[in-house]
Amino acid sequence: MTSMEMAGFPILTAILMSTVLGLFSILLIPPERTKLVKQVSMFWATVGLILTLWLYFNFDHNKGGLQFVERVLWVKSLGIYWFHGVDGINMPMLLLTAVVLFTGVWTMWELEYRAKEFFALMFLLVAGVYGMFLSMDLFWMFVWYDVSLFPMYPLISIWGGTRKEYGAMKLTLYLLAGSALILPAIIYAWVQGGAVTFDLFELQRIGFSLYDQKILFVMLYLGFGILAAVWPFHTWSPVGHVAAPTAVSMIHAGVLMKLGAYGILRIGMTLCPQGLGYWSDLMALLACIGIVYGALVGLAQTDLKYVIGYSSVSHMGIVGLGLATMTVSGINGAVFQMFAHGVMTALFFSSVGYIYDKTHTKVIPELGGMSKTMPIASAFFIIAALAGIGVPLMASFWAELLVFIAAVQVFPVGGIFALVGLIISALFMLRVVQRTFYGEKNEKFAHLPDVSPFLAVPRIILIGVILFFGFFPKVMLDVIQSAVIPFVGSF
Amino acid sequence: MNSLNTYLIISAFLFSIGLVGVLQRRNLIGMLISVELMLNGASLNFMAFNRFLAPEPVVGQVIALAIMGLAAAETAIGLSIILALYRKMHSINIEQAQRLKG
Amino acid sequence: MDAIFKDPVLLATVIGTSLPFLSMAVILCLTRHNPMLSSRISVTAIVVAAICALFNLAKVASASHAFRFDTAWMSSGNIHLTFGYYLDPLSALMLTIVAVVACLVQIYSLGYMSGDPGYSRYYAFMSLFAWAMMNMVIASTLIQLFIFWELVGLASYMLIGFYYEKFSASQAGKKAFVMTRVGDVGFFLGIIILTLGFGNLGIPDLNSAPGTGTLTTGFITMAAMLIFCGVVGKSAQFPLITWLPDAMEGPTPVSALLHSATMVAAGVYVFSRIFPFFAASPDAMLVALAIGTVTMLLASTMAMTTYDLKQVWAYSTVSQLGMMVMSLAAGGYFAGVFHLTTHAGFKALLFLCSGIFIHEFHTNDMRVIGKQGGRRQIIPMICITVGALALSGVPPFSGFFSKEAILAALNAQASPIWLFAGLFGAFLTAYYSFRLIFYLLFPKGGIEEKHAVHEMDSHGHKEEHHGGLFWAMAVPVMILACVTVVLGFTEHSLQGYIMAGGGAVKHASTQAAAGGEAHGGVVGHQLLVILGISAGLLGIILAWFEFGRKGASRNGFLSYFPPVWKLFDARWYMDAFFRWFLDTAIYSGLTNIFTRNDRRIIDGGIDGICFFTEAGGRIFSFMQSGMLQYNLLIMVLVAGLAMLFCLV
Repeated sequence: MTSMEMAGFPILTAILMSTVLGLFSILLIPPERTKLVKQVSMFWATVGLILTLWLYFNFDHNKGGLQFVERVLWVKSLGIYWFHGVDGINMPMLLLTAVVLFTGVWTMWELEYRAKEFFALMFLLVAGVYGMFLSMDLFWMFVWYDVSLFPMYPLISIWGGTRKEYGAMKLTLYLLAGSALILPAIIYAWVQGGAVTFDLFELQRIGFSLYDQKILFVMLYLGFGILAAVWPFHTWSPVGHVAAPTAVSMIHAGVLMKLGAYGILRIGMTLCPQGLGYWSDLMALLACIGIVYGALVGLAQTDLKYVIGYSSVSHMGIVGLGLATMTVSGINGAVFQMFAHGVMTALFFSSVGYIYDKTHTKVIPELGGMSKTMPIASAFFIIAALAGIGVPLMASFWAELLVFIAAVQVFPVGGIFALVGLIISALFMLRVVQRTFYGEKNEKFAHLPDVSPFLAVPRIILIGVILFFGFFPKVMLDVIQSAVIPFVGSF
Repeated sequence: MNSLNTYLIISAFLFSIGLVGVLQRRNLIGMLISVELMLNGASLNFMAFNRFLAPEPVVGQVIALAIMGLAAAETAIGLSIILALYRKMHSINIEQAQRLKG
Repeated sequence: MDAIFKDPVLLATVIGTSLPFLSMAVILCLTRHNPMLSSRISVTAIVVAAICALFNLAKVASASHAFRFDTAWMSSGNIHLTFGYYLDPLSALMLTIVAVVACLVQIYSLGYMSGDPGYSRYYAFMSLFAWAMMNMVIASTLIQLFIFWELVGLASYMLIGFYYEKFSASQAGKKAFVMTRVGDVGFFLGIIILTLGFGNLGIPDLNSAPGTGTLTTGFITMAAMLIFCGVVGKSAQFPLITWLPDAMEGPTPVSALLHSATMVAAGVYVFSRIFPFFAASPDAMLVALAIGTVTMLLASTMAMTTYDLKQVWAYSTVSQLGMMVMSLAAGGYFAGVFHLTTHAGFKALLFLCSGIFIHEFHTNDMRVIGKQGGRRQIIPMICITVGALALSGVPPFSGFFSKEAILAALNAQASPIWLFAGLFGAFLTAYYSFRLIFYLLFPKGGIEEKHAVHEMDSHGHKEEHHGGLFWAMAVPVMILACVTVVLGFTEHSLQGYIMAGGGAVKHASTQAAAGGEAHGGVVGHQLLVILGISAGLLGIILAWFEFGRKGASRNGFLSYFPPVWKLFDARWYMDAFFRWFLDTAIYSGLTNIFTRNDRRIIDGGIDGICFFTEAGGRIFSFMQSGMLQYNLLIMVLVAGLAMLFCLV
């Protein structure tokens, strides 16, 4: 491969730059002009969304492979490249990021407290996320990965809610512990690859011995797995979600957790397929435990956000299970689940965020009868809950279907065990819906306004995305499998 | 009498006196003087080696000169720190300067 | 796209099955605040759907082949799923039943639900319900069927919990969803196994699969049993019975729809849909037969103790569903389908009539309704009696014909147990149905005139006020009553129609019944008819003796056995068991343990690490005395030791 490859307009860099420019332009605005801050944020989020949509429609899923490649040698002595590209695996993730950023900014329209810093940090976070999804160079992946982790601490500890310092500290320490495993793994891979390149695909071509793959994979799996809330490294996730402000929860649960699974898939499985083969039983075991365990613990929670946090643990377990199967359907399902879960959790957190903003509580026993007070906000939550249960014609149904088909094929016992989790997840979602939204009208909150049409739009967009890909899964799956089929073939 | 060992013993002696001084004196000025003694011991060592083992290059003498300069600078900084401390605590006893205690 | 307009059957199917969805979308998004418009949209959609369904029925009946349309839906690796319609005699018939009953129920609801604050929401979910059920019926693949099957469950969750401010209603909705989910997981697993082992989920392909011999019997048994789990959940078979009686928490028209043509019918429909596949596994059929029998008997006994109008019909639904499952499992394919058809008619009739009583008297208690002059409601009283006669299997009502067909199928089984169980069930059914009818007709101590006059006054007033609304409720009921009277006589033409295309079905049903036909049945044909009629009549006579005649005790023989009464009344303690299981095993068991594990062990461990790190720092900080010279001393000592180490 030549050191320089550029096909026309660098659209991927443009997407990445939309957030970086957004960050800088927000920094230039005087802090008291919050309205302008939001407008500028909205503008840059829209730019990112439009560019990503353009990319999605112009992505040729018949051709497959890496498209829109930008590859420039950056540091010759170390072999670092400014290397971006999209294929079927990161395309859905980019779309997810763009949608969640766009709706997230819109959801936070009523924020007044230190809005400038908030949106600046949010754009920094998303810049890291975009960078991680777009880069195909291990060095940059790690850099962007850490860029996306660091803003979480101020975002939670300044704008957060319940036990915010504890939550922020716990989250940061956990995720940095993950980074501490990833960095040595990346350096190890670089050294074993001859210390000449950080290019993911060149390293893949060079290949590693079985012994190296085993070590590398387990380091990457645990490192990224912490971010993907793999059981038993999941406890930061509910605590962090509970503490975080709405849009941060949306981006965090919706997108950032996917970084972990994406890292396992993109770095771990690309570089060490045999390592995955060696560790797949462990991965499947942890994933199955996570699915059932998350649902069961979710049953006992009394805080709305804790419930969603644990449901995320359960749903990310499905992603892990899909990856561990190493089959086309399993990985298709896992990637689809990442997307579907991202949109669904964003919807969850945005509707809970609204209720919390108005009622100042998210403790389930204190709520109740919200359907009478806020029918629209409740409808949003209920739709998200139905998507979480895996009701058909919503995006996550297809993902679960594919993952479970693959799981029953590869790990029959684990797959069936995890299926039981579906019953429990139905039970706990419906339990929350019943306790929170049904029942007699709660006079305490009777005077509160329902979601205004303006604030309803982002939630409706999220619902639209869920339903669209639920009705037409082909649109997404064709893209995903254009990358997954050759990927599985390369094992 | 005019052998390397003599100088080495003397320099070791000087250095040891300085070391004991640094470790044992509670007075900051005393400690500073002791540090000077240690530096002088080291200088003497350099000079001795230069004289007996490597006469041609004058590295030893250069280093001795550098040490002198260093000692002057050190004394200047040390004394100014001591002055600052004295202003703050009205004492130059090292036992008073324990703010960094854990 | 062009294909849709070229083929009238496809066009009618597409229109008929997508209009209700559009109506739901429109109602939820646009006309939520305009109840009148919402109901009109919904009713129009379902009427059109019913017309389309009738058109399709005629087309399918006149054509000699089944219609099938497929388009690609998604593909992943070697799994290719299609979305499509498969119209054969069975699905066309079922589609018509669903559309017509849903149509009548929606018209009825114009009266019943008028003035309800959730009117628009009601019609939106009713449309969703009808849409999901119709699409389930004509699904061409098992996975598509499953998708709409789940949506049927979702719609009934919404409708059962329609009065969501009532705790019992939302609880019932949740219970229905979760209990059917238990069965659905089995169904889901069955589909997964079929995908992996057979690779083709097309329903006709599945039905012809056993004949080709590509699948082992063990595999078929496993898949069939797993799919049967779904049937058990949806059709409220043992042991997942108890959600259905609770499901009457929803508005009465919902119960009418839920108990007749949709939701519970879905389970039996799936059984008959892939009947040849099931029939290839004698073991699965035997299990199904046993479960159907147990269900039928248990539900009949439960119905004998309740005083709640709707609950009696709910239990009777369970027991009739048990009967259908028995029939299918005994190889009586047509009998099962026929009973499904007639049952859809008369059960909708019974519920809608009860709805009129409930609407009028604002109570579900049959004793109170009787006392307050239930029998003066001429139209519903006649209609409910017609329904009860059909349910009891009295000729010439529709239930008689289908029940006889089922008994004939059971008669063909080798063991006589099934036949006797069936007869006993028929007896119990007649007994509890007429227990209810006599409670309404001849209340204990006569009608309380004063109260009744008052009621009649308000009723008369109401009728003037809501004349149109009353007829909106009465007309569907009368139509259904007529259907119930007539439908039985169509048995032979219906049989010819259903069995026409299905070579595989015919083969399978003879194969399944083969055990008994060899010895010509347990009893002769003439005797069987007599036995069937007399079982029903005996039940009615016993009910008359205990509840109808003058000076009857109106207690029922069960009240002489309090423990048995209690057992039946408590639903054989099944609910108590589930409750106990949930509370003990899930809530205070696993959930509790896992939550503690999270808090104590995982979080505790992490916090512990943090604590020790911090404590370690504190301990080391004690060594930091602040004495410069101690630090220097240690430095010198260490340097000296290092030097020594180097020298040595």
